[in-house]
Amino acid sequence: MFRKIALMLLASVSLAAMAAEEGKVKTLLKQADAYRLAMESGRVETEVRTFKAGVPDKTRLYAVYLKPGRRSLVLFRTATERGQKMLMLGDDYWLMMPSSQRPLRITAMQKLLGEASTGDVATMTWGEDYDGQQAGEETIDGVPCLKLDLVGSRKGVSYPRIVLYLAKKDHHPVQAELYVASDKLAKLARFKLGEVDGRRQVTVMTLVDHLQKERSTEVHYLSRTAKTLADDYFNPAFLVRTDVTQ
Amino acid sequence: MKPPRCSSPCRWRLLLPGLAALLSLALVPPAGAGDESPDFGWTSRLVGEGHELRRDSPLAAGLELTSFGRDRYRIEQELRGRAGPVSLLLTATEPGREGAKPDGRFVANEAYADFSLGGERFTVGKKVLSGDVAYAFRPIDVLQRESRLQVMPPQLEGIPMLSWDNFFADGAWSVVIANPGHQRRGEAREDGSVALKLYRRIGAADLHGVLRHSNRYGLELGAAASMVPSDALELHASLLTQRRGERRLPLADDASIRDLLTADSALVTGTIDAPRKALVGGTWTTAEGFSLLGEFWWDGTAPAAADWQRLARQAARRAVLLGVPGVPAAAVAGATAASTRIFEQGNLARRGLLTRLAWSDPGGGWSASVDLLKSMEDGGWTLTTALAWQSDRLRFDAGLRRYGGRADSAYRLLPERGVAFVGLSLAY
Repeated sequence: MFRKIALMLLASVSLAAMAAEEGKVKTLLKQADAYRLAMESGRVETEVRTFKAGVPDKTRLYAVYLKPGRRSLVLFRTATERGQKMLMLGDDYWLMMPSSQRPLRITAMQKLLGEASTGDVATMTWGEDYDGQQAGEETIDGVPCLKLDLVGSRKGVSYPRIVLYLAKKDHHPVQAELYVASDKLAKLARFKLGEVDGRRQVTVMTLVDHLQKERSTEVHYLSRTAKTLADDYFNPAFLVRTDVTQ
Repeated sequence: MKPPRCSSPCRWRLLLPGLAALLSLALVPPAGAGDESPDFGWTSRLVGEGHELRRDSPLAAGLELTSFGRDRYRIEQELRGRAGPVSLLLTATEPGREGAKPDGRFVANEAYADFSLGGERFTVGKKVLSGDVAYAFRPIDVLQRESRLQVMPPQLEGIPMLSWDNFFADGAWSVVIANPGHQRRGEAREDGSVALKLYRRIGAADLHGVLRHSNRYGLELGAAASMVPSDALELHASLLTQRRGERRLPLADDASIRDLLTADSALVTGTIDAPRKALVGGTWTTAEGFSLLGEFWWDGTAPAAADWQRLARQAARRAVLLGVPGVPAAAVAGATAASTRIFEQGNLARRGLLTRLAWSDPGGGWSASVDLLKSMEDGGWTLTTALAWQSDRLRFDAGLRRYGGRADSAYRLLPERGVAFVGLSLAY
């Protein structure tokens, strides 16, 4: 009897400790997210530069509108892609090509294809999508970091597992190892911070591709504005309209 | 309405790039500017084609009078963008055809405004109105009626329209008046019509509905669905039922010699009661960039295998008449050429099966595809291979298409064995 009670107590303590750990990780992720997108809804102008063996290859421009509830609308602004739009609502994705004027439902796999997957551009937060635990501490490029082992809390995340390194001092993101479904390391992300509107923000995310050697991508966040679009704009049927201006 | 022509050197060819350059300089916003700024882009495109004719085709007697195999190149200038609520797609095209003087064509493919009035959303102007969830054949594309699987097709030309659009949490509905003021015109896409379009999202599935009325087809009722059951798989289906349908057919087997030799009566338009069109398909995509698309369809408005066989028999009867005293060779050639207009119908495969294996470099740049379209009813097929490369501003396309199959199948009767194509476009 005493043994059973002891076991139950031990299990309860373990569960409570796990919940506390999860709560702590969630708090850390929210703090880290604030360095990438310090607003609930907003518009982020993004420039993506791709490199092959260190040589500049392509440059792409995107305007990304983000809204709570894992909603994002990506407007393609580069000359060859002008007029394309991608809508992401949680785990559902649509692409609209200007030549056909019809929204096309695409799979998570199709979303991942392309120079910098639009998932890398359109996803600016971890807190809504990942749970996990602290897996020790490491020093990255001379910065003492907390190491977090994160697992996607929904099936549609671009990377089901992320090992994230946050600076011990202020919890800004320093490095992230991004793993695909087979648990292969797909990309290594590094974060560069700068002063934006009086606060420290991530200005560049560098992605080194581990599946396609010699390829790397720089995602430059050119501007962030607290511009909110009405819910209609996040309706797939709305993609054929061009009044994404109000 | 016939597009305006301009003399060579084509005025539009000179004017439009200048206009576009000015617009690009004046209107393209700097990176980081808001979406309120006008945003225009310019694309120059060169398409080259080389056709191999099927000179032993039963329809060869009329080849000289048709446009088969004559397309050599096409130079296109395209201005696309928007300023405020107005969207524009303007193209100037100079086609190069064997035996014809180059002549320019300027088209406002799209010119429309999206706006709100009293809290309601409207669109008015000329706009591309493609619909449906499928790739090779689109049963519920009842407004745009886009011809699919063309080699290096030009930009779609929109439909004059007025729409009232309503959006709610997981869906939308629109009332679309297309070609207002028109009754029945030459082509179905030019007919006046009114349509109700519905959209509903349920979890990982999209449901589409359409109800259209036109003088030509009466009521058309269609539904389509697209769903994503896993990260890699997409499935879709589409169904349309019409009050009546139409198709061009060869003359009856007992047609008189006089009818056989009259170009105007080489084909008859047949009416079909309550035809149906249906398609099912799906796409599998891998992380390595490979995708496999499969689609199977039934088109109750496409000519049947027996119709293609009759076309072959009539072509043979005309060919026999060629040496007969008193029968002008021009009449035989004219009627044979007129009968090839049967190929202008959007879809030639009544029961079609498309398999498409494609690859795109996950890092961007290169892509390649192989398409095999099989006409299950008459045994014809087309095989298309294509390769493309794209950089920041430049895009290159090249490929080959072959037609084949049973001797009396639609694709084998085409007076063309195949086509090689190449395209180069520069966007700025």
